[in-house]
Amino acid sequence: MQGTVVKQNAQFLRRMKYGKLKRAAGILLSAAVILGSLAGCSGKENESAGNGNTGAAGGESTEGDSGEQGMGRFLEEDVTLPITFSNIYDMKKLEDGTIRIIGNNGDDNTKTVWDSKDSGANWEKAYDAPEELQDEDNGYIDYAALSSDGQSAWVYNQIGDGGIKPILYLVDKEGNGSVIPFELPAAEGEPSAASFSMNVPVDGESSEGSETGQGGESSEGSETGQDGESSEGSETGQGGEPSEGSETGQDGESSEGSETGQGGESSEGSETGRDRIKNLILGVRFLGNDQILVKDMADKIFQISAADGSVKQTYDFSDTEESHQVFAAGSRIVLAASSEVLVYDAETGELQETEEALQKSIGESGFFDAVDTADGGESIYYLTGGGLYHYKFGGSIMEQLVDGSMNSLGAPAFYPIALSMLDEENFLVAANDINSNSPGGMALLKYTWSADTPAKPDKELKVYSLYNNREMRQSISSFQKEHTDVYVNYQVAMSEENGVTVSDALKTLTTEIMAGKGPDLMILDGMPIETYIEKGILKDMSSVFAEGGSYFENILHAYQDSQGQLCAVPARFLIPAAQGGSAYYTPGEDFDTFTSKQGILAKMIPEATVEKFWYSCGAAWQKEDKTLDAAKITEFFTKLKNAYGAYDSSAEDDTTAVSISEGGVVNELQRVSLSWGDFDLAFGRYKVNVGLLSKLDYGMLDAVNRKLENGGYGLMPGQAENVFVPAMVLGISSKAAQPETAEELAAYLFSQEAQKVSQYGGFPVEKEAFKSAIDGHEYAAANTEGLVGVAGGSGVNIDERLDYSLVPTPEEEIQKLTSLVESLAVPALLDDVIKDSVIEQGAKVLREEISPEEAADAMMQKVNIYLAE
Amino acid sequence: MMHGTEGHFRIIDGKKKSRNYKTFKDGKKKPKDHGARKNGKKKPRNYGALKDGKKKPKSHGARKRWKGFLWILPSFLGVLVFYLLPYADVVRRSFLGAVDNRFVGLKNYQEIFQNTAFLLAVENTVKFTAACMPVLILMALVCAVALYQSKYGGIIKSAFLMPMALPAVSVALAWRLLFHSQGLVNYWLENLGITGKDWMNTPSAFWILVISYIWKNLGYDIMLWMAGLAGISENIYEAARVDGAGEWKCFWHITLPSLKPSLYTITVLSFLNSFKVFREAYLVAGDYPYESIYMMQHLFNNWFRNFSFDKMAAAAVAESVILLGLILLLQKAWDSGVE
Repeated sequence: MQGTVVKQNAQFLRRMKYGKLKRAAGILLSAAVILGSLAGCSGKENESAGNGNTGAAGGESTEGDSGEQGMGRFLEEDVTLPITFSNIYDMKKLEDGTIRIIGNNGDDNTKTVWDSKDSGANWEKAYDAPEELQDEDNGYIDYAALSSDGQSAWVYNQIGDGGIKPILYLVDKEGNGSVIPFELPAAEGEPSAASFSMNVPVDGESSEGSETGQGGESSEGSETGQDGESSEGSETGQGGEPSEGSETGQDGESSEGSETGQGGESSEGSETGRDRIKNLILGVRFLGNDQILVKDMADKIFQISAADGSVKQTYDFSDTEESHQVFAAGSRIVLAASSEVLVYDAETGELQETEEALQKSIGESGFFDAVDTADGGESIYYLTGGGLYHYKFGGSIMEQLVDGSMNSLGAPAFYPIALSMLDEENFLVAANDINSNSPGGMALLKYTWSADTPAKPDKELKVYSLYNNREMRQSISSFQKEHTDVYVNYQVAMSEENGVTVSDALKTLTTEIMAGKGPDLMILDGMPIETYIEKGILKDMSSVFAEGGSYFENILHAYQDSQGQLCAVPARFLIPAAQGGSAYYTPGEDFDTFTSKQGILAKMIPEATVEKFWYSCGAAWQKEDKTLDAAKITEFFTKLKNAYGAYDSSAEDDTTAVSISEGGVVNELQRVSLSWGDFDLAFGRYKVNVGLLSKLDYGMLDAVNRKLENGGYGLMPGQAENVFVPAMVLGISSKAAQPETAEELAAYLFSQEAQKVSQYGGFPVEKEAFKSAIDGHEYAAANTEGLVGVAGGSGVNIDERLDYSLVPTPEEEIQKLTSLVESLAVPALLDDVIKDSVIEQGAKVLREEISPEEAADAMMQKVNIYLAE
Repeated sequence: MMHGTEGHFRIIDGKKKSRNYKTFKDGKKKPKDHGARKNGKKKPRNYGALKDGKKKPKSHGARKRWKGFLWILPSFLGVLVFYLLPYADVVRRSFLGAVDNRFVGLKNYQEIFQNTAFLLAVENTVKFTAACMPVLILMALVCAVALYQSKYGGIIKSAFLMPMALPAVSVALAWRLLFHSQGLVNYWLENLGITGKDWMNTPSAFWILVISYIWKNLGYDIMLWMAGLAGISENIYEAARVDGAGEWKCFWHITLPSLKPSLYTITVLSFLNSFKVFREAYLVAGDYPYESIYMMQHLFNNWFRNFSFDKMAAAAVAESVILLGLILLLQKAWDSGVE
């Protein structure tokens, strides 16, 4: 018995022991789970804080572990140039500390060299280039480079009966020139991808780059998009010769609007010109003071002696698709493409070991725009759209010194030409900046380290849009320059890389706004604007316009509510327009008359055609109760089908518009731009061209009209009349963390200065800026007289060419377009759900897959659910 | 001297019933109570304070109850933080404006019951559930019984579980491949001389969704049924067979009644799983699919995107009330079946 009790006690004690152990284990596990969760949360906070540092302050100065605000940032200031440069070829800090610039004087077209002994404060002319380089009648300067001892190498493209022949000149520090006896061999294989990429237009319109032709110079590497997007920077070239852009032209288009040259010389970009070109120099750099690196159009790089032109080494990239930029760093040659950086030993010509950190950095920082060296070539400073970076050869990290998003370096229309490090705390950047205050579009900026300025401004203003908006990027750069205490964080929800859908993006936005972490200012393009207004997401912006201003009120008040509030305001707009010869189109005719002409829209891309007419018709479908009128939709499909005629897929493939759209990145508005069809119209593939007019390229418009004989343009016929398409619709969040700053930025975006920024996203809503955008004032200067634009076809129609005068827009044309804008009264329906459904069903109708009635039923079925929600 | 474990009492239907008894030397059983005194008189239970204000140490049972509560506390806190409080917030929001949080009374409820999109979504969801559940449960039962009796059942049931392992995105891609207007199904039909159609933009979309749901969940339900079947003692069948019962009688009188508890679980789980079919419908047809497969989740998804939190909250409350009612009904039916 006793034994049993003892046994039971032992069991009890064991149970007690295990019970305690279990409890202790349970408590420990629970504690671990709770602590783990908390640690996870705090870890995330730390991580995001760390990211914030990296992103905002870059390598300038990071916040300490204590969370204190890091101090120190490079501040940007404009440097006044001594003359109006229409182009800057190179800038260099010489061995004696002098800053030297070589460029083209915009006033008299001379090639000139200027020096500054005090880091850009005062300038004096060093010399003008020798006479043979000033000869504009027989050729033009394409490139030039400086050595650190003050010599310069110039590429003069001589135009003669045998075509264009590049001649390399060496000019010593006193300005005495001599020809370098270097004979550029004929190009082997296909020209590099970027060889003829100079003037790829932003929205498919021709002759962007050619318009400012001052003799045909170009700048190197200036086309790199700031965020990897397609290059729209073709306008950098001051004349339109091929430049060394990275991605332009990679879509295989031929350049539209290639070059101008004075007096309308043959175009390199045109087929005729190309036949007479054996090879061209597309880049020149000094390697030390006695050697020169020359890059040809096949991406072959020659390392030659400056004295006798003998070739020391050749680096052949003619079989690669990417174009390589050439830079020299001490005894190294750095070749940068968009996905790789190669470093060669200039002595042996051997490829050195891959600089892993540099290689990695190009993926993060983007294409090199300009490079300078330090420590005798042991380290390099380079500029990209992301800002200024520093790398020491053999090192393991790439250091970001300046965040491009906080100054002009990240602006989409800012194309650095040369970088000059004055010392560790000061540097100069010469750039092509069409939005600069400089008349020639050339800007010189000085960046100075400010130790007592916060690395990242205290105030963060969040700007959000679904699609990248280049006008916004450009304006943010200018705004931040004036507001150094504000960091504008521009977030673009959708990109080619992230694959986010509109719906996903909007859901994320909803979450962020409701969590109080949403944007302050939004570009509402593609968003359900009216729903946002109804739900009170947007605050009244009337105060932004309190100080007055001269705006197109009809456009400005597109979304004014019944109480007079302006919760969403378009900063720009597009005009649905049509162009055609008198045989097919009379400006001003109505939709019924237009669509009664069977086959008038033949050969067009069905989706784009439906979308274009959706803009001019959709506004008429909405009934007062906000539901859609099914009868009008059926009528729309029926009449559009009649105008389209029989579907012929082979004909569709021949059009230039298709060639362009298949070529590369196409943004939302490019596909429906009027200019995309102008070649098809001019050369008879289209009877009438329709689309959205986002800018007035009068020369081209007039050239097409003249080719058509009695051609004209007017508003696109539609079921609704006097329709315009609001663009860059701005709204301030009612839950904004920085409402006052958001209003300040909004006010700036509506200012004349910001409105004049033109990145082809639509006409400005401010009247003066609108006039400036359409008047062709850039052709009013005396030395542009006689300039012609040359636009070439693309894709299957590469032989086609259209010449036109580059002259200011006639006053009557300005008046005509201004009156047309003033007559606009109805904002197009901008509802993506309805639009997608219309395009999906409409394209099926045009392709004869379903009847108009079936299409209307299918569309109404989906749209009714949407509207009922 | 005390032998055995101490007795425990529980209150059932207001009466104190003894479960264990303490055996005394005289062989008599006496109810064990913590409150029992030596003289055999019962002392009233009092866990609270005494008259003089001093607290009496809590009895063992009370301490144990509180300890039990402590053990469920973490879980309860989770439920409270992640379910109950958010639900309370949803209920609150159902009476407020979408963004401005202005009190609007029952307006949101009125709106949703007049909203044709909501009514369509409810109708489709009910239709879908009504069409799927009986078919799925019956098919799974038949398969489970067949597999249970088959010697290869173990292997075959794994095959039925395969669809569950497939990601929704793969299923959606397969759908597109099959049911697109120029997809494989139409290609096969054309080869047979039959004209195809745009399956996902016709009423057929609903039945594609039903079949997809059944295909995906059949294996899971089979597993549940088989677990239920495994719980039925073989002795009962043997006894029935000795008494002359055939297979059908065994199934009808032994198997089916014994599976009643499983039915409840399977029904609830299948019902909850039916909501997951939205993923496939969304991935194939986006925010606005053909109207017959426009489900509640589509509506909620779109409302969320458009800041219609007011309607979302009201619809969520209405839906949860209906669902809770249905589940309680089912539970009651089950409880009565068990008794």
